[in-house]
Amino acid sequence: MKDLKHLYEFENLLQEANNALVQEAKAQGKLALGYTCYHVPEVLLNCPGCFSVRLRAPRTGSLDIATYYMSNFLCGYSKALLERAIEGGYNFLDALLGSETCSEMNRALEHFELLHLVDNPNFFVSFMDVPFKIEPHTVKHYVKQAKDKIIHPLSEKYNVDFSDEALLKAVAEHNEVCRLMTEIGSYRKEENPRITGYEYHVLNLITYCCPKSLILDKLRETAEELKTREPDEKKNYRAKIVVVGSEMDDPEFTKLIEESGALVVADRFCFGSIPGREEIHIDPNEDILTQICKHYMVTSQCPRYMSHEKVQERRDTVRRLVKEYHADGVLYEQIKFCEYWGYERALASHIMNDEYGVPSASVDRQYTASSSGQLRTRVQAFVESLEIKKIAKAREANVHAQG
Amino acid sequence: MLKDKLKKLKNIKIEPDKIKAYAVDMFGKPAGLGDLYREHTALLKHREWRGAGDTLYDYYRWLVNWKDMIAMVGKAPVSCVKGLMRYRWFASYLSAPAFVDRHVMGLRGPQLRMAHLHYNMIVKHTTKLIGISMRADERFHPGNKLSKKIVLMDEIVPNEVFTGFPNLIPIPLQTLPIFLASMVDQQITPPYLEVTESYGVPADVCPLPSGEAGVAIEDDYPKIGCCMISTNMPCDGSIMNTSFLDRRLQLPSHVFGVPLRYNDEDVQEYGVEEIKSLIAYVEEQTGEKFDWDAFFSKMRDYNEQLDYELQKWDVNKTDYPQMTGACFWLYRIFYFNLSGGSNKRFLKVDKKVNKIMMQAYEKKTPVSKVMRHRAVVWSCPANYYTSFANWLENCWGINVVMDMETMISYLEISADDKEQALRDLARTYQRSIMRKHTKGGYRNVVDELWRIVEEYHVDTVIMYDQISCKGMDGLNGIFDDQARERNVHFIWVKQDLMDPRTISRRDMRDQVNKYMQTVLQEEPVDPTLLDFEDDLAW
Repeated sequence: MKDLKHLYEFENLLQEANNALVQEAKAQGKLALGYTCYHVPEVLLNCPGCFSVRLRAPRTGSLDIATYYMSNFLCGYSKALLERAIEGGYNFLDALLGSETCSEMNRALEHFELLHLVDNPNFFVSFMDVPFKIEPHTVKHYVKQAKDKIIHPLSEKYNVDFSDEALLKAVAEHNEVCRLMTEIGSYRKEENPRITGYEYHVLNLITYCCPKSLILDKLRETAEELKTREPDEKKNYRAKIVVVGSEMDDPEFTKLIEESGALVVADRFCFGSIPGREEIHIDPNEDILTQICKHYMVTSQCPRYMSHEKVQERRDTVRRLVKEYHADGVLYEQIKFCEYWGYERALASHIMNDEYGVPSASVDRQYTASSSGQLRTRVQAFVESLEIKKIAKAREANVHAQG
Repeated sequence: MLKDKLKKLKNIKIEPDKIKAYAVDMFGKPAGLGDLYREHTALLKHREWRGAGDTLYDYYRWLVNWKDMIAMVGKAPVSCVKGLMRYRWFASYLSAPAFVDRHVMGLRGPQLRMAHLHYNMIVKHTTKLIGISMRADERFHPGNKLSKKIVLMDEIVPNEVFTGFPNLIPIPLQTLPIFLASMVDQQITPPYLEVTESYGVPADVCPLPSGEAGVAIEDDYPKIGCCMISTNMPCDGSIMNTSFLDRRLQLPSHVFGVPLRYNDEDVQEYGVEEIKSLIAYVEEQTGEKFDWDAFFSKMRDYNEQLDYELQKWDVNKTDYPQMTGACFWLYRIFYFNLSGGSNKRFLKVDKKVNKIMMQAYEKKTPVSKVMRHRAVVWSCPANYYTSFANWLENCWGINVVMDMETMISYLEISADDKEQALRDLARTYQRSIMRKHTKGGYRNVVDELWRIVEEYHVDTVIMYDQISCKGMDGLNGIFDDQARERNVHFIWVKQDLMDPRTISRRDMRDQVNKYMQTVLQEEPVDPTLLDFEDDLAW
């Protein structure tokens, strides 16, 4: 396939948290607001005068200092953020909006405060208390938290405008990004997709890590470009898979999976687009902030949600994605030491295989793809098993047809 | 045969340094305790000699514990025998008297009496729970009515709110099969952990929820109850094992969410709503109405117990602490979580213990033979070595005057105002076991430690490094940095909560030994306890 025009530029932008577009927005006088978790409503951080940066630690190397502070037994993502922060890699931030949603990330973000890691006198860290189920009183609580932990401190410290007009403006911009990403992502449903999982992963990460106003033009152009893009005639994959699991902000993982023979057609992982790139529908007759908050609660697929309906919904979503994207199987991945996905992947992959009849494999991995050699072997084995299943299925169908 | 035995007796040589130890022992002070252990199993060769009065008292209490256990079987012999055959964990409770013995080693006088009163209450309440569970088990008695009266709850949900349902029986689901069983018998958890790991859950998750999931996968929970209350407490792992438990139980269930950022006022309304929603759910499932009078009456007992608890703390702040070791926290978590004011016997025990304690304090009775260091134990203790604090005391003269688990909620609950009571309950639940310090921000565990170090005049911190606890691991460096600034003896003790295969009891002791011998260059109070094998012990 012909290369996407902006892909190289996007890949370069992903090499730094404080990338060229972040610097450009900062130079325009905008506030850089860091966050890590889906439970922090992204759109609130994109009100006029601000832009959100979902924190990554690209090109992570040694984690020695972070290991001293947080031991060997915590996830690589949280430690990589701490290490990068100690190196001064997030000095561009004006605030860090956290949530006590997983212990490991919570501890990592606390170090920003404890060790005064951001060289900015106005910098602050706040933590939301996020509920575990969706009921009227938990929605109310979540909205209150958004006000107390995001809106009020940002208004007081930086005079950020969170009026209804400002919120609607942020939602409009967010929705345009989502529409474009949905349009681009829908090509992955094709029999022979005109976009690879890796390319989509890069584009999607850009939408999380760069100021939206500065990438919209390029996204529009990419969407246009894709309308006429022709896929290679000969398929360069042996099976299509849905990837489900914990935080994955290194597109090299998707590349590694695709080099192993699988095409990633749906990204149902943290930092992926499902959920994350759904439009927020606003009813003008209802409270806007409540609707925004509810959107994030309803769309969240985080295993932290405990109620029966949410647990069931997570499994049904994966099954739906397999069907919708014509996938052959599901790869459950877990960043090592992530408690949530450690349990979720074990049980869900059993259920997929044994009860839903969807082939699945379950793997753990490091934060960066460079240290995940074993993953390649696991994916190759999974792809082979999917091929064997396909052959067996075809044979069975033949036998039935003949007999 | 007889000749052989006589020959063996003649060949026994008593080493000179041991003669002294035995001589001291004869006068009743603890010494040579390590010589009482058999190799590997750490079974006692004979009971500890504590002087005539204390030895007799100790033996009498040993008999009382057996009496309580036999009485439980006597009430439902068939159910108990079936339970023994059906559930792997059941047999672990046969070693309960040995569990008590481990925790009273070296104790004398008032300390021995207080500890025995507390441990016997633990035995009594546990036998009650086991008895009910077996009689209500639908595997043994299909369709029985008792089971329908049982509301299962996650073990971390404290019992206080259920005192408003006097006709129902709240049973903490995981307590008997795994949490308590692992304290009594260190060998019981590994098989369940292996089951979970074979299922695909990584071995690096916290072994408590992992073991609980293992019991579910193995189908080893009693088949009881009409509904289940699960919760987000205490940590990420226990949130996640809920789906394993739900899948096995197949009961209607309710998620009871407790706010995490509990120091913030803005979470309190949500906390109260969750209590109300829990009450409404139980009412709906069982047809019972919340009885405020019953609740208030029990909360009066709860508050009185709390008052006795705070007196223990006050005494321990002085130069003459009276209750050290594991008894302090074990009893505390037991009555806070499992009774929550519901069992009046706890209050009676508290009254008795308080009387003994205050008399001993007035007489300035030393709490142990030697008290070289006042210590606080921080982070979650290892279930497989709950008597570690007793070993610290007997071997090194390190007396634990306060610990993290004891410092759970100490807020009173209103016994006459409904709205206030709900607010108090919400705040109390936010500060329950294993989550008061690990949730809500680092201040709750870091700053809180230094406050206690100061208040209790502590010179040593025994810092458990529970290697799978993500909430605590995430602050390792900060603890180290701040300990250096404060110049306290900060002794890291690695452990794996429920899994003695990773870090054994002996390994735990070794870490303290090394610090005491190399950094502090001290000699042990009882050298026979310095190193012994107990890998095959209960």
